[in-house]
Amino acid sequence: MSAIQVTGLTKRFGTLTAVNRVSFTVPEGEIFGYLGPNGAGKTTTIRILTGITLPTEGTATILGHDIVRETLTARSHMGIVPETSNIYDDLTAWQNLMFTAELYHVGKTEREKRARELLETFQLLDRKDDKVHGFSKGMKRRLTLAMGLVNDPQLLFLDEPTSGLDVQSNLIIRDVIRDLNDRGVTVFLTTHNIEEANALCHRVAIINRGTIAAIDTPERLKQAIESVQSVELVFDHASPDVVEMLHRIPGVSEVRKEGDRVRLFTPDPGGVLEAAMASLKETGVRPLAVNTQGPSLEDVFVRLTGLDRGHNQKGK
Amino acid sequence: MTMEYSLHYFRNDLHGAWAIAKKDLVIYYLKPNIYMSGLLFPVFMLLAFAVGKSAPLATLIPGLIAITSLFSASSIEPVAIPIERRTKTFDRLLSAPVSLFALVLGESLSGLLFSGSICLMLVIGAAILLGTSVTSLPVLLSAIALSCFTFAAMGAVFSAYPTENVGEVMSLLNLVRLPLIFISGVFIPLETMPPWGQAVARCSPLTYGNDLIQHGFGGPTHFGIAVDVVLLLVFSALFLALGYFLYRKFNE
Repeated sequence: MSAIQVTGLTKRFGTLTAVNRVSFTVPEGEIFGYLGPNGAGKTTTIRILTGITLPTEGTATILGHDIVRETLTARSHMGIVPETSNIYDDLTAWQNLMFTAELYHVGKTEREKRARELLETFQLLDRKDDKVHGFSKGMKRRLTLAMGLVNDPQLLFLDEPTSGLDVQSNLIIRDVIRDLNDRGVTVFLTTHNIEEANALCHRVAIINRGTIAAIDTPERLKQAIESVQSVELVFDHASPDVVEMLHRIPGVSEVRKEGDRVRLFTPDPGGVLEAAMASLKETGVRPLAVNTQGPSLEDVFVRLTGLDRGHNQKGK
Repeated sequence: MTMEYSLHYFRNDLHGAWAIAKKDLVIYYLKPNIYMSGLLFPVFMLLAFAVGKSAPLATLIPGLIAITSLFSASSIEPVAIPIERRTKTFDRLLSAPVSLFALVLGESLSGLLFSGSICLMLVIGAAILLGTSVTSLPVLLSAIALSCFTFAAMGAVFSAYPTENVGEVMSLLNLVRLPLIFISGVFIPLETMPPWGQAVARCSPLTYGNDLIQHGFGGPTHFGIAVDVVLLLVFSALFLALGYFLYRKFNE
């Protein structure tokens, strides 16, 4: 049985189509990344999958339960961690957990045991009786995640879980996601952090303007756009003249300067490397290091969503 | 959602509604400043209507309690829900495995508990300070409970309006609440109203709440206890159903 099965899902708000005939399947036990630029339809998809919003067309089943016809059963199996830490500031951490557990019909003994374990996992046990309005952003985020887990869900929806967090909270949350997945929990993760998706997700879907642009493992997605290979040259000091010279090498589609690193995008890294070394030798500039790189998940994302990096481009 | 609804889910909804009511009381109402303003409102209303008039203060108490039940109970959700929409905690309620009925019922329960306790404090205060006597405590308690629940459910209808701005909901609510005071026999006895006035009064839940509360303090009832009770229950059910429908409609 699939954890999530989505077929032809469409959501229209008046004339705006926020999600357009989206279809995908997430097997149980997978960490599934859902990437897209702002306004792509990520949050609308999550709101449909969690039964908050009704789809205009199409179907979605959660662990075999139709989200429209069996909403309450489907919801009882899932945990939800929205983009905004939606916790009650005037309640203590403990009261927030107890309230959420009651909404999910977790028995008194069980909810107190779970709450204690979760507060310990998220390093909040010593603050359990403090009102949440005194918590830092990272602590609120950890508590939101704890509240999403209080019913011991089989499927966890995470909307931008580590966005803008401190390092400690980031590490704790990523470790918890991995531990949950090791225990068989399916995770549906939306994120802007492409490296996070690359590091955590088994498969990634890229959504743009309401439509799925690609779904595959991060590695396969990268292989699919081999034309975005690159040659990276590291200099002691990369002057504008050197960058301009490298830009003129035939076969280079884009030049990106990151500090003293210059990255030349090309479908032919061998040829470009040879030409670049010859040009540099003529000008007497010697690179400190040279690397060839395959496309990153970010490159895949940019290519598939048509985003403009705002860098020095020669055309696609 | 309707296809799967069963006794099991109804029981879960009742638990969920109780959890929501407790949460609301802790966050929004069990605070000294809220109770103080809840009590000061009827005290100032009493003074406004009593100053310069010859009628003894004690005779104004039943009507005052009826108005207090209307204003305090119907204000609960129109304040709480827009705040929860703004802080996004409303999504937590919408995405939990409880139906929208549990949400409407829970918010109405918190309205009943808060407003009911304010009304009881007024009853006790009036008895101590003004010597107001209660002739039928069961009738009075039932009248307060039914009125508060009905008006809390009425507040649920208005809180379904999809806004994060408390003022927007309250201004809509006041368009209904303020006329209700004048058409429900609180200030002008029903017997002295013209026939068309009496016909309009019959459409107001405050009419039946006021009638029952008056009877709890020993006054005559215009409609009889049974009619008052049944019609307050009917209004409650109508408001709960309309609130459920509107929440569903606005969350599509």
